[in-house]
Amino acid sequence: MNNVFALAGVVIKELYRRKDFYVLFVMTALLTLLLWAMRFFDNADIVRFLKEICLLLIWISTLVIAITTAARQIPAERESRTIFPLLAKPVSRWELIAGKFAGCWLACLVALAVFYFFFGVITATREHAWPGAIFFEAFWMHAVFLAIVVALVLLGSVLFTAQSSNATISFIVVIGILFAGGHLNKIAAGLRGINGDIVRALHFAIPQLQWYDIRDFVIHDWQAIGLQYIGGATLYGALYTGLLLGLTWLVFRHKTLTL
Amino acid sequence: MIRLVLALGFTCCLTLASVLEPRFEALRPQSGEDSGFMGALMGETRQLFATQSFIEADVYFHSGYYPSMFDTKEAVENLDVNVKETDTNHVPLVNGRRHEQEEPGEAFLGPSRDWMERFGRHFMPTEHTHLANAKVSEILPWLRVSADLDPHRIQTYVTASYWLRTTLNQADEAEQFLREGLRANPDSYEILVELGYVFDQNKKNPRIARNVFDTALQKWNKQAAAGLESLPQEKREFMEKAKIEILDGLVRTDEELNDLTQLLADLEALKVVSPNPAGIEKSIQETRAKLAAPPARPN
Repeated sequence: MNNVFALAGVVIKELYRRKDFYVLFVMTALLTLLLWAMRFFDNADIVRFLKEICLLLIWISTLVIAITTAARQIPAERESRTIFPLLAKPVSRWELIAGKFAGCWLACLVALAVFYFFFGVITATREHAWPGAIFFEAFWMHAVFLAIVVALVLLGSVLFTAQSSNATISFIVVIGILFAGGHLNKIAAGLRGINGDIVRALHFAIPQLQWYDIRDFVIHDWQAIGLQYIGGATLYGALYTGLLLGLTWLVFRHKTLTL
Repeated sequence: MIRLVLALGFTCCLTLASVLEPRFEALRPQSGEDSGFMGALMGETRQLFATQSFIEADVYFHSGYYPSMFDTKEAVENLDVNVKETDTNHVPLVNGRRHEQEEPGEAFLGPSRDWMERFGRHFMPTEHTHLANAKVSEILPWLRVSADLDPHRIQTYVTASYWLRTTLNQADEAEQFLREGLRANPDSYEILVELGYVFDQNKKNPRIARNVFDTALQKWNKQAAAGLESLPQEKREFMEKAKIEILDGLVRTDEELNDLTQLLADLEALKVVSPNPAGIEKSIQETRAKLAAPPARPN
């Protein structure tokens, strides 16, 4: 377990050494502050527009951080040839995968916490109230979403040769699921024969990433979601993450690492 | 040598471009208006984005409970954000919002098809509600964006003004926005009708309101003269309703100004188009009786 934490620590250090996070955070903050300063029809109570844009920027930024961080882990180790001394005993391949995952996810959590703190402060200044339970639920669901994404990208990094192709494919898959994942069964209902069956199977097979996007609840001040549902979604996310990491290990275990 | 040829080629290209550019510019159709930075950047696609922003206002009006592109949608004209009278079908406010008599999942969502969809519905708004009171202001940024993207979208000005002058009680902002709309659409009778309401109902100035309604009627007549019969059925019905609205505004302001002669003339005009001519006829008779009656002597 110490090996896993040691590897995770290196990944977290990498996050704050690189400029990606700072650039994305400054851009998000600047755009949000620009909107915060705007007044529509001399009305100072308008806040949902600001929350929507700020949360959208946070989602884009954290997705970029998660995918780019996770995608470069294993290819970078191979390119710099540090993977060979790393895989020498006592670090096993499974520990390498677990360490990389834990590091990427914790790094994303740190970034997410900074973004959500900023979001909470900005909305509190406009709403004159501290964020409610739904705010923390949104944070947690976002964190679970990032765990699945990181696991998915790590699987991609052992399947695809190039880091760029893995990142691009991961972006397309994640955005595709967020956009249409929840509607595949509706599409399947309109299809007949084998096509309908394929789409229906896909509906059940893909991770339901859109569940974790509960921005509408935060933006429109809906009541908090029942904890049993948050727990269910967390369990589903944990199972999917475990499955993806298991697959990554299975592929990586038999992979021949050449110079 | 190669360098000289390249330099000559570059000079020829520059000369040709400077000669041809003004000629091509002159060939472009002149719209007679300055579309500004957004127009130059987005071209005609901004109309598409303007409509999308208007729909986004309706999404906010429903607090995110809204059909996606995979569900059945309503036409833009039928969006709830366009509501012009207090809808009596809605039950009273619950937690500051209007709830329709509709069970969760009864509307566009339909019954869940599988356990995954059923579970997933806990993570999306599934209750049909409308914003109420001051919260309605949340739709305004999208209407502002919509007007910026397409200044010729009249519906945007009318809808924003309606909510500003009624629920939000911001008549000055409504007037300012309508005047902005009028500058971009000088022939719009719809904007003038809305401006008339601002002066009549909010600013309690029937004299100005009457002038505005009168101008609206002139604009309406101008458009009708261009060929009302040739318009599609839907557009014709819309214009006919608008005429009733304009004449109704004129009648109301005449009553407020106690201008009986003008009131009689406007009632006569309203009777021709009104769906309730008998009621208008009764008002005409009453006005005639008032006109015929001798003026009351001061004590």
